[in-house]
Amino acid sequence: MRNASIGRRRFVTLLGAAAAWPLAVRGESPRPVIGFLSSASQATFERFVAEYRASLAETGFGEGKNVAIEFRWADGHYDRLPALAAELVRLKVDVILASGGAPPAFAAKAATSTIPIVFTAISDPLEGGLVASLNRPGGNLTGITILTAELDPKRLELLSALVPAAKVVAVLANPNRSDAEKQSADVQAAAAALGRELVILRAGNESEIHAAFAKLRERGAGALAVLADPYFTSRREQIVALAARYHVPAMYQWREFVVAGGLMSYGPSILDAYRQAGIYTGRILKGEKPADLPVLQPTKFELVLNLKTANALGLSVTEPILARADEVIE
Amino acid sequence: MNPRDAPSAAETATARPRRPLFRKYFIALFAAVVIPLLISGASEAWFGYHDYRAMLDERLRVEANAAASRIREFLAGIKEQMDWTVQLPWTEANTERRRLDALRLLRQVPAIVDITLVDGAGVERLKISRLGRDVIGSGIDRAADPAVSGARATRLWYGPVTLNRGSEPYMTMGVAGNRVAVGVSVAQINLKLIWDVISAIKVGESGGAFVADRDGKLVAHPNISLVLQGADEKMAARLKALQAAATAARGAAVTTEDFEKRTILVAMAPVAGVNWTVFASQPLSEAFAPLRAALWRTVYLLLAGAAFTALLALILARRMTVPIRKLEQGVTRIGAGQFGHKIEISTGDELERLAGSVNRMAGELALSQERSDRIARLKRFLSPQVAEIVEKAGQSDLLSAQRAEVVVVFCDLRGFTAFSAKATPEEVMRVLGEYYEALGAIIMRYEATLTHFSGDGMMVLLNAPVPCPDDPAQRAMRMAADMRAAVRSLASGWRIAGHALGFGIGLAKGTATVGRIGYEGRHDYTAIGSVANLASRLCGAAADGQILVDANAAAAASGQTPIAAAGTRQLRGYAEPVAVFEVASAPPA
Repeated sequence: MRNASIGRRRFVTLLGAAAAWPLAVRGESPRPVIGFLSSASQATFERFVAEYRASLAETGFGEGKNVAIEFRWADGHYDRLPALAAELVRLKVDVILASGGAPPAFAAKAATSTIPIVFTAISDPLEGGLVASLNRPGGNLTGITILTAELDPKRLELLSALVPAAKVVAVLANPNRSDAEKQSADVQAAAAALGRELVILRAGNESEIHAAFAKLRERGAGALAVLADPYFTSRREQIVALAARYHVPAMYQWREFVVAGGLMSYGPSILDAYRQAGIYTGRILKGEKPADLPVLQPTKFELVLNLKTANALGLSVTEPILARADEVIE
Repeated sequence: MNPRDAPSAAETATARPRRPLFRKYFIALFAAVVIPLLISGASEAWFGYHDYRAMLDERLRVEANAAASRIREFLAGIKEQMDWTVQLPWTEANTERRRLDALRLLRQVPAIVDITLVDGAGVERLKISRLGRDVIGSGIDRAADPAVSGARATRLWYGPVTLNRGSEPYMTMGVAGNRVAVGVSVAQINLKLIWDVISAIKVGESGGAFVADRDGKLVAHPNISLVLQGADEKMAARLKALQAAATAARGAAVTTEDFEKRTILVAMAPVAGVNWTVFASQPLSEAFAPLRAALWRTVYLLLAGAAFTALLALILARRMTVPIRKLEQGVTRIGAGQFGHKIEISTGDELERLAGSVNRMAGELALSQERSDRIARLKRFLSPQVAEIVEKAGQSDLLSAQRAEVVVVFCDLRGFTAFSAKATPEEVMRVLGEYYEALGAIIMRYEATLTHFSGDGMMVLLNAPVPCPDDPAQRAMRMAADMRAAVRSLASGWRIAGHALGFGIGLAKGTATVGRIGYEGRHDYTAIGSVANLASRLCGAAADGQILVDANAAAAASGQTPIAAAGTRQLRGYAEPVAVFEVASAPPA
């Protein structure tokens, strides 16, 4: 009797499947959905998103074809992230991509412990316990780490090498970062080791950035290092323009600043990070568990130099910098 | 050919044999082809497997060696680049130049994370890093550093594989110049970059190569995630076991399970210097796919061969058994007496010959049957010996009518009519039975011809149709004497039973017409003439126990048989009294 009832149930299931079949043909079947949660704004991240889409397509998931992407942009307002993350969870997306620093990753992690989360371009996922370890993340998170704030001291060193005359060096820092204190302390120590006087300029919005540049001139800083922060990345056009206006040699985190006319950048390739995030998303959509996917660390660090900007600033680029430069924009 | 056997022969023809010939032939023919086919197929598969396995081993070994040499090239490439930094002796003046060399090296070799240059005295002069601060002239004494001392001793030193932040495999490499003064270059290598090399190695469709260090730590694997998962005791144990198994196999490939639980075939090659091992692997299912295809082909061919053989065996067995069945049926019919039946077989082989033989045999059987029927008929009035002779000589000669010198003997019982009238039929028949049995044996012994009998009397002929070897009259008299003696001994028994029966014999010699008389199916041989008449009359005249002989016969006795003259008798049908003789009575037994 038991078998018979199971048989009947199975039959009913089959009937259900048959009824659902036409829906599948019409494309209304569950197509995987990716929730793209970013701290930045769409306009400034276009290039990264394109790279992400391209690598996702390489794994066999084309947006609009067999996968859909729901974008949620916080436009620099980190406080909006938790609500946006909760919205994606409500939409029952299959995987969340957390883009632009640690805040969206934390927001996503707080919103769900079951939906896989891929974070990209964040500094240290061990900090704050985003993952248990790099090699075995353990939970529903994995992703791509890039050294951001960790490289700030190195950037300061390279900036000093390019502009040896500047005894006073300013840094632009975002006070809204969770690790703002540590970031400042690290560059402070690096400046001391280099024998430079450091001016820390804090800016968390557009007007504060304007004010920071005014203060930079006031303090007589001969060079500026823009510290790592997704907000600055999204405001790169404005910052590069201000640096040109204030005629100050500046060091940036990403190549994208230099392409926009910035003097020099040093760091891993953020495009690489988005490309790898695309691959990880594809692998998770195919059934792999984030817990088994090790957090990827960057291997390539590029020094990009804009010679045009250097010439405009009247800088003579020294040999050690040229020897190091992976890309020179002329 | 006993008629009683005929039904049983028919039975065997209709009942199925316990082990039919058809089945035996079919099985034998089928087995004769299929068993060698199977054996050859199996041996081919067996040797094919071994050859293929050896070929696979060789191929995987070549792949493993090729992969190992690529890993060596990767490391040699780094070493070559590092050599540029240890060519000039250290002076204060050239520090800046060496810094540029080191910076260029970092650009040239992405795998180098940082590089430390140590002078001839073992003092750190320069440290260039991708991530950390560059340090110039720190003056730290690095002479005791194993990388420095190791490189100084062997010019090239490889450190153990370590995990950066628990994930990325790193290794320290020390390179010394050709003189002590040029110092030592120590670089940190990020081994993650070997992935570019290892992922390019393909074995077959989905096979590849992976690298482990001497502790069983995974250094490189096409699935980079496995490497980046870092220290894993279980995996280390597995890799070390695999190393041990591959070493024990002495170059042959071993099978194991890969990280995705597929069974793979693995060959190993060492990477000298770093003490790593490279494994080239291919999923077993893929590696053996061509062999499996060949095996299936063989199986299909075997099945087709078996089917064809079965068909052939069926036809052949049928060809053999159909004529044999025909023979069987034919023989059964012949056995049942249809000698005219002809078995029609035209296979052109021994079976056709056999059928011919059987047909001939049937003809001969028909003849033989006819002959034995004739003999049976002859035996009714001839003794068996005489019947044989007559049959052999051909009845036309001996049984044809002719005049011959014969001796005719008549005998009968005295008092039989009275006896038969009062005795019971059973008694009459018993007495007659004893009487004829005794006389028949004697007639047979003397090879005489019994022409006829009726009731208690009988007529016996000698010297016809076959002449006697000795004198027929003497022979007849001896026979008559034996008959008298035999009946006398019987008569004493009958007398006890209360039957008074006597016995008389008449015997005459002379010329008579002999031959067959009667009609189709009922012939008798008899003698016609006065001699037969005379013998009959003498018998009638004879008293109990008397043997009366005519003058002719008595003359022939010529002293061989005791004869006594018994005077003359007036016999019916004879005008003159006839001289009669008597065979002397032997003393009663």
